[in-house]
Amino acid sequence: MRSRTIVATGCLIGGLAMGVSACGSDSNNNSSGSGASSGSSELTIYSSLPLQGTSREQSQAVINGEKLALAEVGNKVGKFTIKYVSLDDSTAQNPGTADEGQTAQNARKVVQDKSAIFYLGEFNSGGTKVSLPILNKAGIPQISPSNTYIGLTTNEPGSEPGEPNKYYPTGKRTYARVVPRDKIQGAALVTTMVEDGCKTATLWDDKTTYGAGLARNIEASAKAQNLTIQDRQGTDKSAANYRSLASNVKSDCFVWSGVTGENGVQVFKDVAAANTTAKLYGPDGVAEEAFTNPKKGGIPADVGARTKLTVATLGVKDLPDASGVLDKFKATYNTQTVDPYGIYGYETMALALDSLKRAGAKANDRTAVLAALFGTKDRKSIIGTYSIDPNGDTTLTDYGLYTIKNGLPSYEKKIVAQA
Amino acid sequence: MNVATLPPQEEIRTTPVSERLRKFFSAYGLWIVLLGLPVFYGIKDLQDEGDLSRLGNNLFAGLSNGAIWALIALGYTLVYGIIELINFAHGDVFMIGSFVAVGMWGTVGLALTTGTLGLIAGLLVTLIVAMVVCGTMNVMIERVAYRPLRSAPKLAPLITAVGFSFILQNVGIVWLGSSQKGVPDLIKAQHVLVSVAGIDIHNSDVLALAVTAPLVFLLTTFVNHSRSGKAMRATAQDPEAARLMGINVDTTISLTFLLGGLLAGAAGLVYALYQTNVWYFQGFTAGLIAFTAAVMGGIGNLKGAVIGGLIIGCIQQISDNRIGAQWTPAVVFAYLVLIMVFRPQGLVGEETREAG
Repeated sequence: MRSRTIVATGCLIGGLAMGVSACGSDSNNNSSGSGASSGSSELTIYSSLPLQGTSREQSQAVINGEKLALAEVGNKVGKFTIKYVSLDDSTAQNPGTADEGQTAQNARKVVQDKSAIFYLGEFNSGGTKVSLPILNKAGIPQISPSNTYIGLTTNEPGSEPGEPNKYYPTGKRTYARVVPRDKIQGAALVTTMVEDGCKTATLWDDKTTYGAGLARNIEASAKAQNLTIQDRQGTDKSAANYRSLASNVKSDCFVWSGVTGENGVQVFKDVAAANTTAKLYGPDGVAEEAFTNPKKGGIPADVGARTKLTVATLGVKDLPDASGVLDKFKATYNTQTVDPYGIYGYETMALALDSLKRAGAKANDRTAVLAALFGTKDRKSIIGTYSIDPNGDTTLTDYGLYTIKNGLPSYEKKIVAQA
Repeated sequence: MNVATLPPQEEIRTTPVSERLRKFFSAYGLWIVLLGLPVFYGIKDLQDEGDLSRLGNNLFAGLSNGAIWALIALGYTLVYGIIELINFAHGDVFMIGSFVAVGMWGTVGLALTTGTLGLIAGLLVTLIVAMVVCGTMNVMIERVAYRPLRSAPKLAPLITAVGFSFILQNVGIVWLGSSQKGVPDLIKAQHVLVSVAGIDIHNSDVLALAVTAPLVFLLTTFVNHSRSGKAMRATAQDPEAARLMGINVDTTISLTFLLGGLLAGAAGLVYALYQTNVWYFQGFTAGLIAFTAAVMGGIGNLKGAVIGGLIIGCIQQISDNRIGAQWTPAVVFAYLVLIMVFRPQGLVGEETREAG
């Protein structure tokens, strides 16, 4: 009897350990009021990105881009001096993505800083779900360089009940993004598959906010474009492998809606081995070296040769206005290649600085800055000319199609999505 | 005063339906549970596809996957059998085994281009190193974290085990980072070696079974027939009596941890070759599955750990392939619950002091 009690206690401790690791704090105890004004001539722009794990290189590219844009204006907008602070929203135990507890902590830290005027992040949509309500209560403008989840800004198909209003407790919008939402990416992926001759596809997602949301958009677009989704599965990051699941993949094409950090490499390895002819597709969540480069633990070269990726970033040949910035980027950071997210990092900061500039003497007033941010219209930028709509979405819609060459994502062409 | 009316004799002899059902489930419930999924899907396959090859593939993949769980489960059951401790750090010792193995590949120069003989020699060296490192580490953990608490309340070593689990996980993070890391597919794990009656046998399946079967045989032979094995069994039954009979109980317990660690090291290598990826958290997940296997089979029982591991492997594969990967953990634990309901002592029976 005693032994069974100990076994039961052991199970309980194990279960608790799992529960604790799965749950993040989302408590929200900020006290700052909405639209607070610092009244100071020194303003702080925070960045919150996953600096550990598979997304580290993309996050660093974003940071480099943001710093470059800030350095170009000499860290000043009008009479205001801008300080830049980078925060890590991942943890050692939850790397490569936004840890909910750490993200909430970052947001609360920013809320307590009266000089905070912009919050640039998160990288992952799941993280923004946590930070956005906290920042919204304090009226702090937020711009993400990479979020694509549809429910953050709209209630279009693919979102969950109650979205997006539950992220805006004040009822006022405080969040914008510079990449098109997943409605566009879902359509871009399906458009590419149809162009490649796919009649049937298997769709797996990683069960994250981003992955599951994008998968819903892919499904909707597939229906509209007559692509049959044969099998739809959610995968568990901690599964040792997906071989048994992959043996069901009988379709022409396979698309994974997820991020590298959710065991994306193993998913592609197992599917490629189980179905040796299927064409493979992935979203921007895997467009990074940790996924594409076998020397860095990514997919083997033969699997990479069968894989195509969609990324919200266009290549330089389709971004004529970006060439100057790219040259500066290469010179500043002594690199031959620029991660696409470096460009979006640059634009995120450039949009924030532009909003501060347009707020003029009221650049230290969050309400005025928000008005300027949402007043962005026909902005000529390195990623094209765009506006920010009342929901906080960019009006840009083009996606880039990438293949994998020499272990790196390589731009092929612009996708005009059949939304 | 009422006079009690006796029911007619026929009614006494007639057993109620509920009682008959209870007896039926007591007698056959366990078999219904165990065979439910395979029989259901076997019939379905015969109807839909006309043969049982799909089910055969599920079960064979389950056996090879389960062989790894069995190796780890043996470590749990050995330790539990002798000191009634759930060694939470055991899964993480297995994880370190994988990391050591992957590190050794580089040291001995194993790469995708290495020839067959070089590969076999290199993997043998790696296997020995991984086993020795994990065995030694397990003995040291016992010496540092469990032996001083031998007479402490049972919860004290349980907590130090959890503590050591976290320490080893953090060592893993510092060592290879905190994300899954793909490793070279040295044995072409998913290459189909041979197909028998529609069942594909992959290189990785052969590896898992070829490493596990001899190790399990050696372990059971050692425990059942060697002098030290007898000392282990005596200590497991009654440490005080064993001490009075001249058995060095501390040394015997250390030996048990050594054996568990050796198996964990072997499992670590097989896992890395089989899955072609490693990460710091693999020990937690595998440990939970392996501990479940040990309980399912009958904690403290070597045969039970192996059978439990193989059954869980099969359940996982069937569930992944037929029901959906998102349901697999729920299906595995539902099986555990049902087996415990019908057979609380586990499939083969506990071998602990209390169980006798």
